[in-house]
Amino acid sequence: MAMNRRDFLKVSTGASGSLVVSLALPGCAGVQAGYEPRSGEWRPDAWLELTESDEVFFTLARVEMGQGTYTGLTTLIAEELEIEPERITPRFAPVAPEYRNPLYKLQLTGGSTSLATSWEPLRMAGAEARLMLIMAAARVWNVDAAECHASEGRVVHPNGIDSMAYGTLVELASKEVVRGDIALKPRERWKYIGKQRGRLDARAKSTGTAVYGIDVELPGMVYGVIARPSRHGGRVRRFNGDEVRAMAGVLEVFETGRGVAVVADKYWRARKAQEALSIEWDFSEALSVSTDDVFESYRTAADEDPGESERSEGSFERAVERAERVLEAEYAQPYLAHATLEPMNATAWYRGGRMEVWAPTQAPDLGRIAVARVTDLGPDDVIINTTFLGGGFGRRLTQDYIEEAAAIAYRIKRPVKVIWSREEDIRHDLYRPAMLHRMKASLAGGDLTGWHHQIVGPQILDWYVRNAAPAQYPWAPKFMYDTLGKVGLMAEGIATPKDMSAIEGAVEYPYQVDNIDIRHTHTDPGVPITWWRSVGYSHNGFAVETFMDELAHETGEDPYQFRRRLVSSEPRHLEVLDRAARLADWAAPAPQGRARGIALFRSFGTYVAQVVEAGIENGAIRVYKVACAVDCGQVVNPHIVADQIEGGILFGLTAALYGEITLENGQVQQSNFHDYQLMGQYERPEVLVDIVDSAEAPTGVGEPGVPPVIPAFGNALFALTGKRQRSLPLKAEA
Amino acid sequence: MALRLTVNGEQHSLDVEGDTPLLWVIRDELGLKGTKFGCGAGLCGACTVHLNGQPVRSCSTPVEMADGGQVETIEGLGSGGQLHALQEAWIKHGVPQCGYCQSGQIMSAAHLLANNPAPSRDDIVAAMTGNLCRCGTYSRIIAAVESVAGSSNGQEA
Repeated sequence: MAMNRRDFLKVSTGASGSLVVSLALPGCAGVQAGYEPRSGEWRPDAWLELTESDEVFFTLARVEMGQGTYTGLTTLIAEELEIEPERITPRFAPVAPEYRNPLYKLQLTGGSTSLATSWEPLRMAGAEARLMLIMAAARVWNVDAAECHASEGRVVHPNGIDSMAYGTLVELASKEVVRGDIALKPRERWKYIGKQRGRLDARAKSTGTAVYGIDVELPGMVYGVIARPSRHGGRVRRFNGDEVRAMAGVLEVFETGRGVAVVADKYWRARKAQEALSIEWDFSEALSVSTDDVFESYRTAADEDPGESERSEGSFERAVERAERVLEAEYAQPYLAHATLEPMNATAWYRGGRMEVWAPTQAPDLGRIAVARVTDLGPDDVIINTTFLGGGFGRRLTQDYIEEAAAIAYRIKRPVKVIWSREEDIRHDLYRPAMLHRMKASLAGGDLTGWHHQIVGPQILDWYVRNAAPAQYPWAPKFMYDTLGKVGLMAEGIATPKDMSAIEGAVEYPYQVDNIDIRHTHTDPGVPITWWRSVGYSHNGFAVETFMDELAHETGEDPYQFRRRLVSSEPRHLEVLDRAARLADWAAPAPQGRARGIALFRSFGTYVAQVVEAGIENGAIRVYKVACAVDCGQVVNPHIVADQIEGGILFGLTAALYGEITLENGQVQQSNFHDYQLMGQYERPEVLVDIVDSAEAPTGVGEPGVPPVIPAFGNALFALTGKRQRSLPLKAEA
Repeated sequence: MALRLTVNGEQHSLDVEGDTPLLWVIRDELGLKGTKFGCGAGLCGACTVHLNGQPVRSCSTPVEMADGGQVETIEGLGSGGQLHALQEAWIKHGVPQCGYCQSGQIMSAAHLLANNPAPSRDDIVAAMTGNLCRCGTYSRIIAAVESVAGSSNGQEA
């Protein structure tokens, strides 16, 4: 996901000033609300807690869903605190204003922003705590603090021999005050940043001891499942509650806003009871579209509405008038499900007027709003405990599963865990939107003179602002929730951030072309949508980089050289493009029966170029090798960067090979891994990742591996077969 | 129905409905949460455990079929306070990302090495191919298994 940096709901910042604790001055970030210091521990800031027994706790405000925040962010604070990352215990953050993501003014993890937004604040926090420890030690020794230094969790005396452990200095350090600027360590003195180190969560995740949402266990806990309508927007008319209530272990059967909830003492009994449910649904207001209708409606919208101009340079019309050749192409991409391996789940317990929730969520403060919506509680009555996430990919930014658990817990007043089946996870997902792209380009004398890109489809914020707007203003009375959401939408670009989800990656078209016209025709067929690992970049990447390939072939130029010539004044683009071509041995012919395709794409501030080597084997398309060059600025953990890029590549290839959610009369047709297939071990390509050594500020790596691999794969298939595929997933028979 | 299961060497007498998948018995009756629910249809491998020495998908194995059997889960893989060599390799190679599938991956790998201490690359890929990973850790999985297969530690499961 990507929102821009404009303030979210700036309108009310005056009134909410006390809530938005500035994160821009990290050294001054407030201590967690309600914190009362006990002796023996010290909290120099919102992130760190040091104890007399020499423990260091770090409050991790960006959730760990595989992308590596648990290790990467801990490394940042460890570097400046001067202690080995392995000696720090990360703890998942509670909901509090100081843990908000400053780009979104919401406590959410997404948009490949965790490292970029933590880079300065966490190092500053570590440095300030280190200075206070040094000052305390210097006072004890009666020496000049400037002559002491810190190393591996101890302050070292100017004599280089004596030292004191941080734990012994905790009480004294808490009384020190740092004045003036804090200098961060220069790059050449880093011990942990940029060094090859493992993951801090590897042990827990290799021994089965890491606690995910689905593993939460509470005293007297029961299990809830929900029978949801087969079509979005369906309502319960009547159901055989008495019959099902009489089944073994069943405690409650009742209607909720999401369907019919069944609560039982054991999960399997709840499932069996759910199967025995006979529900009569009212589908009069339910979704009724089929996938073909969606694309037909997109084409109609595209014909009728040229769309809002998102970028305009020169005159595309004039370029077309003067062109020798004009090329047009239409690209289509399907809905995609997230398929996190841990299905949606949440555990909730309502007692003493408060709701406590345990959940694998990417947006805990939105979780509070979700609970408030389905109960009489306010957000402040809700405690969200975040666990490890068994995958996120944007799915867990939406809190529907927390809403369900809370609705049940509020009624039954005992701890309840709601677990979705895989079928429910696939069928009741919020999808990566299906999109249509109309491309047009003008060529004159072998040069690309004009570029026109019309993006057709919905915007994600339309679906997300419902809970996001109230989450920013938790003081707002609940009757205002819907108003806040509507105001947010009406004032898009002024009060709420401009929604980039449909156009991201298209408007940053990097090639030097004089006449550019990029538009978005906004149309929403009503299918639930949300962010999905790289979202807009994933569909725009396919459209832009496939069309660039078509243009290269049209001009007869080598697709690598064609791109190279057009980004010659963009050094970081050029560098990754050249490196990927070198790594893939682009100039040499591909092995017999295979061909190569190339793509270059920047997303989330990270530059990625990829060369895919593909073929067709036993009637099926196959990727043999992916060579990838990436520039993500300063690397904090090379192991994690390589893993995230490779993981993104496999995620993109899964979409290119198999990814397609289809609807038939409003009903999702896929249900489990047999018909929503994931790439398996046997079809894994060889992946080579070359990381540019850079001192630029770090940018995200969780998502940028995804977008270029899809067009690079398609371009390779074109090179192999001479047939251009303009819709996804890719097929052997184009 | 009354059932007897030996799980990680410990005997349990249970009273559960016989059609309950072994997975939910392991997780909720015995409190061993390392074995994961992924698909409920034997398609992803996240729930892989050993039943009488064979890898099974516990999400689609009714517990009555395991009655009287020996079950081994990720929690019982190590011995004498030591982690299994594969677990050490998983940590050393930094295999997990989200980590949710990894218990199942390790259980599949452990069965392979118990029966074939020196597998070829193809053997490893074939043995591991039923275990899906949405994060894309496949190459690190192969590297970790090969590092154990290449040493003398891969003898026991």
